[in-house]
Amino acid sequence: MTMVATSDDTPVETAAPSTRRQPDRTALLLAPGVLWMLLFLVAPILMMVYVSFWTQTTFKIEPTLTLKSWVTFFSSDTYLGALWTTIRIWLIVLASTLLVGYPAALFVGLFVKNKTLSTALLVLCVIPFWTSFLIRVLAWRPMLGKEGAINMILMKIGVITQPIEVLLFSELSVIIGMTQIYCVFMVGPIAFMLGRIDPSVIEAAQDLGASFWRIFRTIILPLSMPGVVVGAIFVSVMVLGEFATSAALSGRKVNLLGNIIVTQVGSLKWAFAAVAGVVLTVLMGAVVAALLRVVDLKKEL
Amino acid sequence: MNASGIKLGLGLYTMLFIVFLYGPLAVLAILSFQTGPEGGPQFPIIEWSTYWYKHLFGLTPPSRIAPLPIEQALIRSLTLAVMTMIVSTVLGVTAAQAFRKKFRGSGVVFYLIVLGMMVPGVLVGLGMALVANTLGVDRHWWGTAFVLHVVYTFPFAFLVMLAIFNRFDPSVEEAAWSLGVTPTRTFRKITFPLIFPGVLSAMLFAFTLSYDEFSRTLFASGRDLTLPLAIYGTFSVEVHPNVFAFGVLTTLFSFALLGTYAVLMGLSVRRARRMAIQEDT
Repeated sequence: MTMVATSDDTPVETAAPSTRRQPDRTALLLAPGVLWMLLFLVAPILMMVYVSFWTQTTFKIEPTLTLKSWVTFFSSDTYLGALWTTIRIWLIVLASTLLVGYPAALFVGLFVKNKTLSTALLVLCVIPFWTSFLIRVLAWRPMLGKEGAINMILMKIGVITQPIEVLLFSELSVIIGMTQIYCVFMVGPIAFMLGRIDPSVIEAAQDLGASFWRIFRTIILPLSMPGVVVGAIFVSVMVLGEFATSAALSGRKVNLLGNIIVTQVGSLKWAFAAVAGVVLTVLMGAVVAALLRVVDLKKEL
Repeated sequence: MNASGIKLGLGLYTMLFIVFLYGPLAVLAILSFQTGPEGGPQFPIIEWSTYWYKHLFGLTPPSRIAPLPIEQALIRSLTLAVMTMIVSTVLGVTAAQAFRKKFRGSGVVFYLIVLGMMVPGVLVGLGMALVANTLGVDRHWWGTAFVLHVVYTFPFAFLVMLAIFNRFDPSVEEAAWSLGVTPTRTFRKITFPLIFPGVLSAMLFAFTLSYDEFSRTLFASGRDLTLPLAIYGTFSVEVHPNVFAFGVLTTLFSFALLGTYAVLMGLSVRRARRMAIQEDT
């Protein structure tokens, strides 16, 4: 250990001034990050709310407050249709990620006793995230297309004679793509919660003669609920803010609120884009709040 | 309970699940070796070739398929990722350092920071575009898009550093302070080497997230494309296997990055162990 700065600082730095100085130091350390977030996260969101009340003309937008854009949004079939599509796709994807992900999480979190193996399986699930998100979305095109891998395999083994055309450029392809991309966010938290279940609880239930189904219903499922809620929050926030998957796989047949925002910004209709943005924000906030109601995360984690 | 039967079933299911995760990527990788320029992005493989890889680098004779505009985009994406990595790591370390002391309003600040990774890119991107539009500021990848990238990656760096500081023994620092070492020097000589693995992880997170980020960039950058935007541009047109070849290359790049991280991490762990041994003797 080197001995330095014995002469300059020691007399001044006694206990009393350093405790008094502490709040200043904390504020100083926090200031850059907090300022950054206020300027570049909070301000833009507030701006979005503000602009949604501006007056939109064909090419210009003026800061005269009006409710016109809101009225247009809620009386237009296109916008309301997009809102409804967003909610529908979100619910379907939420259910499908849970259905697809839960059994895998059950195996990784509860049935694999070997720590190395369960870590390896989780890592295996995470590796695809090292590929660009857009490439992973795009990878579904050669899978689902009319001459795609799935149709080819199904025709080879003789399940179908005609290629299934509805696989690509439909709502189904968007749901399949989103399920694959987001289900890992469901698997992770659930596997984590399942891994924390005390094995002796399950053994006790087994010794008392409970069937697997009963153990699952009364022990495993309730104890994994915080994981399900955390996973559901991840998946919900990401699916509700989506526009790329539907742009790539639906052939413009599926228009989510995100797609509406992209097109409105593209045609410089800022006020309409802002209204769609605020609607999306409110929807997301309501979903997250509702999910947090289901389980008190602070208590459970 | 027929646990072994259920275990077998779930094991098989998990294998299928992993095939589900990897299948599309495998198909994409196979199809990137399709012959060109007449071979399309579907089976069967007419002939195995590396045509589309050469096409990416402009090594093929001109054909009706325009090359991806990746050269400039790659430079921009890498620059942006490095800038984001540096700023968000510094912000993450300083903010997490502040959180080691209890202070009033820490809950609010915590949620404010974490909000950055939760709010979808569409919303922040749109908000930033509106702000820039109102203020009359031009949107650029190195300006408006860059600050949004930091908004997105800074929370990750912050959480990683928070986790590191939680397991950090403050008595070493206190020992240095009580010996009269200045806070700055203590940080450089004691704190930083101890938290280095965390810093490395934070940097890795920030770099890869920024390198892949596109929804914020789509709204907040101007005419100049970054790599993800170049890929996004191909969504609306016919896809050729050159995009697939590009996908394979960028995946390899990510793995190289992960490998570098693993090596650096291993070195730092080994160094820490050697120092511990020296202290013991």
